[in-house]
Amino acid sequence: MNFRIKLFLVFLLTVLASVTLVAWGVTRYTRKAFEELDTQRTEALVAQFHKEFAQRAEDVAHRVENITNAEVTIKTALELAQPNADPSAYVHDANGAAQEQNLDYLEFVNSDGTLISSAQYPARVGYKNDWVTAAKDWRSSPAFLKREESPDGVALSLTAVRTLPVGEKIFYVIGGRRLDQNFLASLVLPSGMRALLYRNLEQGFVPSALTDASGEVAQSEQLAPLIQQMQKQPRPMVETVNWSADAAAAETFHAMPLLGRNNELLGVLLVGSPRRELVLLLRRIQSIAAGVGAGALLIGLLLTWWVSARITRPVVELAEGARAVAAGHWDTRMETGAGGEIGQLAAAFNDMTGTLAAQRERLVQAERVAAWRELARRLAHELRNPLFPLQITLENLQRARTLPPEQFHEIFQESTATLKAELSNLNVIVGRFSDFSKMPAPQLRRVNVNDAVRNAVRLFEAQFSAVGKPAITPDLRLDEALPEIDADPDLLHRALQNLVLNALDAMPAGGTLTLRTSARDGGVLLEVSDSGQGLTPEECSRLFTPYYTSKQHGTGLGLAIVQSVVSDHGGTISVASDPGSGTTFRIELPLRPPKTPAAALTGGSAPPSGLPA
Amino acid sequence: MRSIASHWRAGISLLAACAALSASLGAAERPRYGGTLRVELRAAAVSLDPREWRAGSEEAASGAKLATLLFDRLVALDNYGHFLPQLAAEWSHDASFHRWQFTLRAEVKFSDGAPLTAADVAAALAPLLPAARQVSASGNAVVFQSAAPMPDLLEELASGRYFIYRAPSAGVLLGTGPFVLAAAPPSGAVPARSEAHLTFRANAEAWSGRPFVDAVEVTLGVPPLRQLYDLQLSRADLIELSPDLVRRAAQAGLRTWASAPVTLYALRFDDALPAVQDARLREALALSLDRATMAGVLLQKQAEPAAALLPAWLSGYAFLFTVETNVDRAREMRAALPATLATAGEPLRLRVDAPGDLARLLGDRIAVNARQALLIVQVVNRMGARAAAAAAPPSREPAPGMRLVSWRFRSLSPRAELDAFAAALDLAEPAESAGSPAAAGADPAQLHAREQRILAERRVLPLVLLPEFAGVGARVRDWLPAPWGDWHLAGVWLDGADSPAPAKSSGEKP
Repeated sequence: MNFRIKLFLVFLLTVLASVTLVAWGVTRYTRKAFEELDTQRTEALVAQFHKEFAQRAEDVAHRVENITNAEVTIKTALELAQPNADPSAYVHDANGAAQEQNLDYLEFVNSDGTLISSAQYPARVGYKNDWVTAAKDWRSSPAFLKREESPDGVALSLTAVRTLPVGEKIFYVIGGRRLDQNFLASLVLPSGMRALLYRNLEQGFVPSALTDASGEVAQSEQLAPLIQQMQKQPRPMVETVNWSADAAAAETFHAMPLLGRNNELLGVLLVGSPRRELVLLLRRIQSIAAGVGAGALLIGLLLTWWVSARITRPVVELAEGARAVAAGHWDTRMETGAGGEIGQLAAAFNDMTGTLAAQRERLVQAERVAAWRELARRLAHELRNPLFPLQITLENLQRARTLPPEQFHEIFQESTATLKAELSNLNVIVGRFSDFSKMPAPQLRRVNVNDAVRNAVRLFEAQFSAVGKPAITPDLRLDEALPEIDADPDLLHRALQNLVLNALDAMPAGGTLTLRTSARDGGVLLEVSDSGQGLTPEECSRLFTPYYTSKQHGTGLGLAIVQSVVSDHGGTISVASDPGSGTTFRIELPLRPPKTPAAALTGGSAPPSGLPA
Repeated sequence: MRSIASHWRAGISLLAACAALSASLGAAERPRYGGTLRVELRAAAVSLDPREWRAGSEEAASGAKLATLLFDRLVALDNYGHFLPQLAAEWSHDASFHRWQFTLRAEVKFSDGAPLTAADVAAALAPLLPAARQVSASGNAVVFQSAAPMPDLLEELASGRYFIYRAPSAGVLLGTGPFVLAAAPPSGAVPARSEAHLTFRANAEAWSGRPFVDAVEVTLGVPPLRQLYDLQLSRADLIELSPDLVRRAAQAGLRTWASAPVTLYALRFDDALPAVQDARLREALALSLDRATMAGVLLQKQAEPAAALLPAWLSGYAFLFTVETNVDRAREMRAALPATLATAGEPLRLRVDAPGDLARLLGDRIAVNARQALLIVQVVNRMGARAAAAAAPPSREPAPGMRLVSWRFRSLSPRAELDAFAAALDLAEPAESAGSPAAAGADPAQLHAREQRILAERRVLPLVLLPEFAGVGARVRDWLPAPWGDWHLAGVWLDGADSPAPAKSSGEKP
């Protein structure tokens, strides 16, 4: 995970956490405010209900009072108080009085409780209303809730009772108004709220007993648990009803018991407050939070991209610069305009690469000087050997001029022979240098490395067991499954020959020459090991330097040539040696050398590395 | 039982005597011709075709009231209990009452001027008579024949739907009565069904003479209270009074009239419903019914409790039947019944088939009475039941276990009424019944036994008998209706009419 992604994630988490926290806080505050408002509205509605209820009760009592004090009622009461009065004459009287006073229920009851006339249930005339005679005094008693029977069923009424004393007898007037949807319709409800009335007139929950201002309530069975709970324990309750799977359709109901004269539960007032507004508001808040979060995410993405790019670009450039320096581009430079730590880092990088380049230049110059000195030393050494005999020989010839011709001739013959020999040596020395400088380009074809190894070893079989010399044992450990590679067989043979010769020179006291081949991923590995004295680390580090040799005889070009051949084949060579335990050269060759312009197009080879340019 | 047989005649005579007294009072002034008699009826529509009348229905009674203006019968029964010749001038029968012959009055014409023939009479009566009876024309006479004796044929022909009419084309009837329908086609034909307003004009060519009033205007579909107001405001001369308004009308000083009890309210159990097949349930319900309160309190003493199916004035033996109200006994019988029967969860359903608010009130009272016996009865009115049946699949509407029915007596033959009542309510008589109903004949003893068998089953419970009431305007004179409900408007004249009755002529009233 790079710096840019990390930065983006941190930014994203910060934004999301902030948005979530704000959304949660707003939601909580909104819900609380809504519920407080809902409670206030419900309380207001309940207060209005009580006020309306009281007004209606007062109105009912007033109307019943009017009927009681009406002349016709007094006349009826007086006539009924007479002996042998005919109650049938008054059967329909209550109906007219009820219509006149706009009462839904009106009954005239005789002193003994016998129903004389009933507006709502004429068929009950003649039966007793014992409850009305059981009470001692109905004067000024307020209206009360009552279960009212009629041919159409039972209903809930707001009933008042008034009495008309006639001597010792009492004439009762019982009047009431139905408490139904019309009563609910008279309530002024806040927008969205509604009032429901459950008439608890039968056992259990009866769906048709639940009405609102417009009539019967749909899905009323959803309120059955609340009603049943109220029937068990009449007390104010609050419950939320989910009408459907949509939470916005839910409604909170505040239920209040409506009790009768004997504290029996006759009805339940339910004030419904829809949760749609709250749910929609919360959904809007959530939508806004999601939108803000998404926007923040997008902005964060872009900002993070820009910021991280701005912050990390110098770092990436530094990394690329470091890689370029590692690849040898010593002139790599960084822009230092960013300022701050990044600018200082870039400046330090530039200083570092400048110093490295200067040091490298100095090192190259030093190595070049050293190489030239070594070349001069080697040339001087190589050329001095034949020049000294030439000088001696020429001096002998000068001195022999004074000798007799026979002696001079003999000396002359010997001297010219020597001169020829030494000149030949000079020619060989010059030829070697000339050959080294003219390494041919590899002519690639399919080569079995095992065969090349066997051919190279075969050349030295005579020396392995030469008389008078310690024996050297060749040990070939060749991988027969070795794949063929594209290589120049002559150059490869020449390199192997130099390595074997070098190994033989390293084992003057005899030993074991081990040649090992094995397959590698995409190439082959060739190892040439001797069991000689080994090399010091310093010798190892300079081993492939041209003209360097640790032997008394040698031009120091053998391993340089090996390295040149391996390099021309796209391979690598390394040496591993410990003093006293022999030396091992490891050559890794690819199956197909990379096509370099030098190898593919030119007939000659570039100068071996390490040579002065 | 022979003394019982004469009861109905005696009853009718007594009622007729009262009517005669009032007639004599009304007749103290000389009748005057002219004027329009304004009549208001509750029925929204009436049929003037006797063939369409359903036995026992209020609609048939309303139709018969108006049909007497247009049509005549062969014979009539006067208010003194005597049979009078109408279209038949004379009649005779064989000793066994199997054959009757009626000789027609001469020179009687229909309203279109066509003479009345025996064939017309036979054609009119043939579709009205029971299938077992044959009627045929024989010269100027009409002959009735039947395998069963017909001792009460005169009573039958003097009442009910046995009007003589002629149907020249489909839907048109012509009569020989004292009035013709003003809206009738030029030929004088009468549309069989009329609505809203009907105007009957005096038929000067009627064989019975020109009626006193020039016209009778009938307004249909007028609510009872509106009728009362119209009578009080003199916007109507003759109205139907509902029982609950009779006392009010009397208190207002209006002239009222009550017939003999002509409408029976009864409770009919559904034989096919298992819930009411238990005789103990029916007995418990019968014991819980308080008929005295129904008649004396709810109906304000305008009705009388009914223990029998036929009223006393018709059968003469109704006093032999008694009913008992015993709530304690009813509760005991209820306790012996299954507890799930007639409960609030599964109440007995009582459908009020009888029309009017009065029937609904009686239905409610039955439910209240039944509740005293711990039997829960749910009242559904006929219209409500029909609406529910139309709105819901038939299988979801439980069948009523009981029906509250009304029966309007029209015939003066108790046997004919009992036959029709039993047939209309599908009252299959017990197997031990001796012979067929027709074989029972008109003998009061046999009729009593037959009715007793029907009532013993408790499949039908008579409740109350109710008279028919009318309000009569102050200017109506010679208002002499028959006790059984015929209004006899042809003899009515109006006070303050245009002209006094002219000297008698061939066209004047006899």
